Amino acid sequence: MLETHMLNPDGYKNTDQGFAFQMRVPYYRGITLSIIRNIQVTVDGVEYPRETVTITVNGETFTLEEARTVISNRWLFGQFGEIGVKKEGGLAPGQHDLSVTITVAPSYMPMQLVKTGRAQFTI
Amino acid sequence: MSYDIKKSVSLYSYQEAYFTGKLDLEGCIREASKAGATGIELLAEQMVDEFPVITPEFKAKWFKWMEKYGTEPSCMDAFLENHIYDNRVCTLREQIENMRRDIEIAHTLGFKVLRTLVSTPMEVIEGSLPIAEAFDVKIGLEVHSPFSLNSGWSEGYMEMIRRTGTKYFGFIPDFGIFCNKIPTELTNQALKNGAHPECVELVQQAFKNRCEKGFVKIRYDKNLGAANMDYRMANGQGELMAAIKKAGGNDADFGYAGASFAYTWNDPQDIIDNIDYIFHTHAKCYHINEDYEETCIPMQQVVDAYKKAGYHGYLSTEWEGAEMVEDASESCIEQVHRHQECMRRCIEG
Repeated sequence: MLETHMLNPDGYKNTDQGFAFQMRVPYYRGITLSIIRNIQVTVDGVEYPRETVTITVNGETFTLEEARTVISNRWLFGQFGEIGVKKEGGLAPGQHDLSVTITVAPSYMPMQLVKTGRAQFTI
Repeated sequence: MSYDIKKSVSLYSYQEAYFTGKLDLEGCIREASKAGATGIELLAEQMVDEFPVITPEFKAKWFKWMEKYGTEPSCMDAFLENHIYDNRVCTLREQIENMRRDIEIAHTLGFKVLRTLVSTPMEVIEGSLPIAEAFDVKIGLEVHSPFSLNSGWSEGYMEMIRRTGTKYFGFIPDFGIFCNKIPTELTNQALKNGAHPECVELVQQAFKNRCEKGFVKIRYDKNLGAANMDYRMANGQGELMAAIKKAGGNDADFGYAGASFAYTWNDPQDIIDNIDYIFHTHAKCYHINEDYEETCIPMQQVVDAYKKAGYHGYLSTEWEGAEMVEDASESCIEQVHRHQECMRRCIEG
């Protein structure tokens, strides 16, 4: 299962805006960002609002709302992208639990693809 | 009748090894060649970084690999992203342009067949036929379970073939239509997720009954979701779900029961009946044991139908067991190897 290898164990960090981690899209081909419907981030049981989440792929950063129109930046199959989350002060030092659910809408699928990855990490 | 059945590997089979960085594109081609394949099937959107641009550098590398590993391009798998914008479906013109792009990529990389999905609208296929002809690339519609040949659904396309007289459109059967059992690994996964053995038994018995009685085939409908739901209900999904509910089934039981309707058994005679319209094949597989047997597809029986039909073309291994196991990044290589050997024995047997 691709979900098994979804999260980069070395990708966790605090940033100026909050915190960030790296993930692959657990779906079998590269996708334009426009078909990403949502990325739901939960850390230690706290769900972060959609508006606080950004995607950085191939050197460009988009909010989830902006990503809806992005058809010229492809998130390659197997490529780590960085997910940023706005949170004042970032995460406290120590261990945390992450759950991230990505919703993708490949055109040929009657239903959207919803995949979840989970990991424990240390800041 | 004379036949010439060749072995190919769809690099889709190696997706988890590629995803995790164990194999790059050249590594996938090398493994396919080592397993015995002479054909390479590619999902350009999966393994070509610059897609949809094919750079001269990539093209040169691609043909160098084909020569180095003794392989040739067999089929390129396309995905018509006709809902690339969140707020609308692409127009017919836009969709045909998308097909043109993919046909040109296939042509550039030496593919003679482009796989398209069942979700590609008829008018898009029809509108793409002159392009396919100009580039000498045939458009193959994947016959993926629960869709089937000799069905109301395939008759919809046969009507178009007869009406246009095209030689550039046909079918790519996927061996998921020749499952006479539910894949073993799917059952193992369900049990691991907490499915009750008695519910698993109910699902397996129902599948066996469908195989014996014959599946009710899917009809042609532009609304694929509706056609699929009608197909499921006509094949007893409602009754099975009721039985599982009565037996106190949990989420894993219902999930397994629902998933079981994704696999179908069709008479391999369907291949013989439609051979004039078949120029590539997805030899889908899920689990190949140490004795080189696909555990839910009677491979010899299916390959014998291809021989009897006089098939000239590739059987392309498409291993789809990755979703059914925790980590397939190593096992995918061995599974493909076993399946190629299984096919060699069936073709020579």
